[in-house]
Amino acid sequence: MRDLLELSVSAAASGCIYALVALAYLLMIRPTGVINFAVGEWAMVGAFGGFLLLSKYEWPYALGMAAVLGFMLLVGWITERIAVRPLVERGAPLLAAILALLGMLVVFREGISLGFGPDPHQVPEPVSFEYLKLFVIGATLVVFAAVWLFFERTLWGKAFEAVALNRRAAALMGIDLRRVTVASFAGGAAAAGLAGLLVAPNTSAHYLMGVPLAIQGFTALVIGGVGRVEGALLGGLLVAFAEQLTVRYAPLPSGYAQGVPLLLLMLFLLVRPTGLLRARA
Amino acid sequence: MRKWLAALLAAVSASVVAQETIKIGVITDKVGPAKPYSEPTLEGIQFGANEINAAGGVLGRKIELLIEDDQGRPDISAAMARKLVDAGAVFILSITLTPATQQQQNVTLEAKTPQMTPMNSGDTLTTQLQNPYFWQTGPLGSIQIATLLSHARSKQLKRVALITDNSDLGQLLAKFFRAGLEKSGIQVVAEEVVPRGATTAEPQMQKVRAANPEAMFMAGVLTPENVLILRAYRQMALKFPIHSSYNLSVPQYMSVAKGLLNGITFVDAYDPEKPEVKKFEADYRKATGKLPYNIHGYGYDGIKMVAEAIKRAGSTDKEKIRAAMQSLEFSGVMGAKGMKYVFPDGKRAGFDPNGMVVRVYEGDKQGRVVHVGQK
Repeated sequence: MRDLLELSVSAAASGCIYALVALAYLLMIRPTGVINFAVGEWAMVGAFGGFLLLSKYEWPYALGMAAVLGFMLLVGWITERIAVRPLVERGAPLLAAILALLGMLVVFREGISLGFGPDPHQVPEPVSFEYLKLFVIGATLVVFAAVWLFFERTLWGKAFEAVALNRRAAALMGIDLRRVTVASFAGGAAAAGLAGLLVAPNTSAHYLMGVPLAIQGFTALVIGGVGRVEGALLGGLLVAFAEQLTVRYAPLPSGYAQGVPLLLLMLFLLVRPTGLLRARA
Repeated sequence: MRKWLAALLAAVSASVVAQETIKIGVITDKVGPAKPYSEPTLEGIQFGANEINAAGGVLGRKIELLIEDDQGRPDISAAMARKLVDAGAVFILSITLTPATQQQQNVTLEAKTPQMTPMNSGDTLTTQLQNPYFWQTGPLGSIQIATLLSHARSKQLKRVALITDNSDLGQLLAKFFRAGLEKSGIQVVAEEVVPRGATTAEPQMQKVRAANPEAMFMAGVLTPENVLILRAYRQMALKFPIHSSYNLSVPQYMSVAKGLLNGITFVDAYDPEKPEVKKFEADYRKATGKLPYNIHGYGYDGIKMVAEAIKRAGSTDKEKIRAAMQSLEFSGVMGAKGMKYVFPDGKRAGFDPNGMVVRVYEGDKQGRVVHVGQK
């Protein structure tokens, strides 16, 4: 029983990290249809931002966190301007933007690797380690509540939803598609950066941390469903619980257990490609 | 007039030959998973090459390093080896992942070009392919476990846990650790893997705790995942001792695993009290302004051995270099005090089985040597 309780908190905290990465995907996919696999590298950039401001320059945590999130908004905006918008304006297919963003993944990773070297770097925790998981869970719930309110209660949120439902109709109604697109990338980068900042005290900041987070976040997104914000949270939690309960309790060699979330991903793609939560009509 | 012209041409060509460099190829990993090891090893090689050149070079010629990046990928590493052979490298130093180094051997065997890895630990590099042009001077995985076991023997262990990561080298080391433990009659009661990119090692450590081992051996080589293991160990207030592979000997742990390290023993090939190490550290710091650590020493010893083999061969003829390398005895920075790299009876793994040491973390600092060799 002690193990199960410990594991529940641990899986919930890991699930929140996956959920934030899934949210980053979702914020971009809904209005633009673009799957941006560089979200993992954005999380890495957020983690290194934490290292720089919180470890190296020893800023107060709240200030450092705000600065990292502000910087990530900028990173998302710039990424959209240089890797997506030029392609959209030339009428390139969606796949071109996805491939360009894969290129950006390499640019981010190698940029960090050149700038900070290959060694992992320590990022301080906002609270003492025994409460870190609760902090991660709390911060994630606040973000999800804020994003949910944004979509449900604000005009801007409705504009996002309108673009997600029908881009052409939304444009005809006077919604600025460019603005929505750039805001979706900026928001996605901030969500991913927050995931990196929150996971880094545990894993440290290192240049290869992005791709595994991108895979786990994508799995969470597919399981939870692309259509609704709550789906990202549900998917993240399900992936983490499946992962950790399998390792702990399934009669499988430890090395095999890591394949379980990927099996879940394949299962959902085959049986329920819309995920657990479908978009509202 | 013609005679004068011929004499002038002869003089010019003699001078060109005299200034021609000796080309040493280096295949490194600049972007892949071996980068944290390859980078300091390469810095050690470059420092050693500069030192050799400043002292007049080898056979009166400067050493020139031809550096290629195989990204740790076995599928392109053989092409890098071929490129270096075609560029005139008389020796190739491989400082990339073990499977990539293995692939390069196909080229060096065919091209009869001497090749050495000063840092790979996999035991199979000199056994899977009978390549008389290949040597390995890093401490083998089997030597690591034998040294750790020799240190732990006094504890009369019967039941232990083994934990690693899912990297190629982590899996390979775990295999050697398991074989060594079983050979010593010690039961492995839990064997766990923390995958690359994990966000916690708690489920794995819960299984270890449930198995109630007397000690835990860590064979993983990925620093972030090892830190997760140590964090779970401290959070769960576990008391059994931890014995680790050489990975815990890299100094990054002192910053990324603060507060988690006290009392953990780890195997190392570096004794800070060794006179050669003190000199190496002082010289390196003077030349670069940075303090080197054990991984730099692998590269430094590697290039020094290559230079010594060429010097003893008396020429850049690859066959003569091969023969000189095989009969080499060399004292370097790495290994316990007095250790020599030797290749007796045609063996091509040169690290002395009694050349490793066991050290202990004292607080967050890498502390004293508590054990030497396998006796």
